Amino acid sequence: MTTLDADLRRAAADAPHKEALVAGELRVTYAQLDAAVDALAARLHAHGAERGDRVAVLLPNGVEAAVAIYATLRAGAAFVPLNPTIKADKLAYVLRDCGAVAVVTDDALAPLAEEARSEVPSVRAVLRAQDDADVAVGDETRGPAFAGHVAGAGTPPPAPPISVDLAAIVYTSGSTGRPKGVTLTHANMAFAAGSIVSYLGMGAHDRVLCVIPLSFDYGLYQLLMCVRVGATLVLERGFAFPGRVLELLEREEITGLPGVPTIFQVLASAGAGGVAHDLPELRFLTNTAAALAPATIRALCDAFPSVRLYSMYGLTECKRALYLPPEQLDARPESVGIPIPGTEAWIEDDAGARLPPGEVGELVVRGAHVMQGYWNDEAATAERLRPGRWPWERELLTGDLFRADEEGYLYFVGRRDDILKSRGEKVAPKEVEAVLHTAEGVRMAAVVGAPDQLLGQAIVAYVVPHEHAQLTAAALRRHCAMRLEDYMVPARIELCEALPTTPNGKVDRRALAEEAAAAAVAR
Amino acid sequence: MGETEVGTLRAELRAYIEEAFLYLHPDVELHDADEFLELGVIDSLGFVELVEEVQTRYGIAVDALEITEENFGSLDALVAFVERRRPS
Repeated sequence: MTTLDADLRRAAADAPHKEALVAGELRVTYAQLDAAVDALAARLHAHGAERGDRVAVLLPNGVEAAVAIYATLRAGAAFVPLNPTIKADKLAYVLRDCGAVAVVTDDALAPLAEEARSEVPSVRAVLRAQDDADVAVGDETRGPAFAGHVAGAGTPPPAPPISVDLAAIVYTSGSTGRPKGVTLTHANMAFAAGSIVSYLGMGAHDRVLCVIPLSFDYGLYQLLMCVRVGATLVLERGFAFPGRVLELLEREEITGLPGVPTIFQVLASAGAGGVAHDLPELRFLTNTAAALAPATIRALCDAFPSVRLYSMYGLTECKRALYLPPEQLDARPESVGIPIPGTEAWIEDDAGARLPPGEVGELVVRGAHVMQGYWNDEAATAERLRPGRWPWERELLTGDLFRADEEGYLYFVGRRDDILKSRGEKVAPKEVEAVLHTAEGVRMAAVVGAPDQLLGQAIVAYVVPHEHAQLTAAALRRHCAMRLEDYMVPARIELCEALPTTPNGKVDRRALAEEAAAAAVAR
Repeated sequence: MGETEVGTLRAELRAYIEEAFLYLHPDVELHDADEFLELGVIDSLGFVELVEEVQTRYGIAVDALEITEENFGSLDALVAFVERRRPS
């Protein structure tokens, strides 16, 4: 049975007392997780969530988020993971777009969910997941307030999902400026999780530390992969405090750490100080979203000689496409490797002809991890998915430019469209520009990316004010922060009198990007 | 360090936090003991900025292991850390 829920059932049956999740003071076994999932699935069902419905999960990293994801699946519905920094307008847009029937959230985010719900009639319930997480840990840590729910915890709904059912809709930025919902079946996600687990060599003995939000697919898959192999997942809300992360690595005897360049830079400098001695269990590090600087790679390899470092590349539309086997890191530090096990990928020119080594073209991906399309958006789906080799198959056009070396290892070159990647998340300049245009006094706005060591790309906005308008960069940033997720808020806003244009009168984004890059270097 | 100096330090740090982070959250009222992360006013990358500011402004070399909630998590924590570590 290749469903995500079946993975959890099996893990709970095989090793009920094995630690499944650690989050702060909470420690939850697979049996407890399974019971909490039953309880919330029953509650979702009681609130009208039926097989095939969509349930939004609006939670920071914690036991509650894991329970909410699996409970949604057990209820036969698909989960829609949402970044906890989402704002009311966009939340309402997404809930309406996917026709969510419920939102699972916590006390802190419930007011936001209620606000959005008032505009979206399909949402019948806003549920708090704490109650069910407390079922798992027997209320000991959080007082008896939720005891009533334990008594009510009953049978999960009938008719569990099957592998071809929709498991998740993951929203990602689209070049039009409106987020698009990537639809994934149980088969898609179980396949991707299985493929990644196989090349990482993960097993029940592993203990993975996840500081990446579960609302991003990179974080989400840590949960799916750990449950698949019956491993332990330690959940932390971000990597704001590197000292805390290093302490957790040691105390929790972590074997695997998925990260992004920011955290690996910190780890490399701490590693130079001899931290590796305290981390004898650490076995693998994975990096994606933005390339690691060769100097960081060298520093990590020197500091942690026995740790395997994986450079990887992916996009939400297929989860992960490529990985570099660690033994190739020395020879090709800048490559993101080869297709993940059980899949194929190649490079094409605009006419669809495969390109020889050295030539730059679009990366095309084929395999059971490729999404089913964008939710309710056939036009956008047709741009990315095209008929494949078999009548039932579709191939993914990634929109990313790559080249291959003589041995077939692949190198990321750039994107075809103007989508930016900041903090590992896709950002559509149009989405940010649209928000800037709603600010009073803004005549024109253009958003570009500038290379940034920490962010991958920093979002830089150039704004032309109306005559006599009293605009400040600080006020505009605030305007954006109140309407966009944190990672989309421009790091810099430059006020200017005019935007450069191309000969045919369009905003010259390339000139702006060059200016932003030069300014970044000058800083 | 005298009481007035600590008071000045607190005011300085508060002014910086307000200028760099709080303006994005006009509805938030920050108390000295409030945790930045819990309150949502500073996120992972914000802390990178904050640490950098503390290093340059007060001439303190901050080790990665020192970037913890106990040292940087709240205004109270920050004042105590800077007071303890800044060259006299």
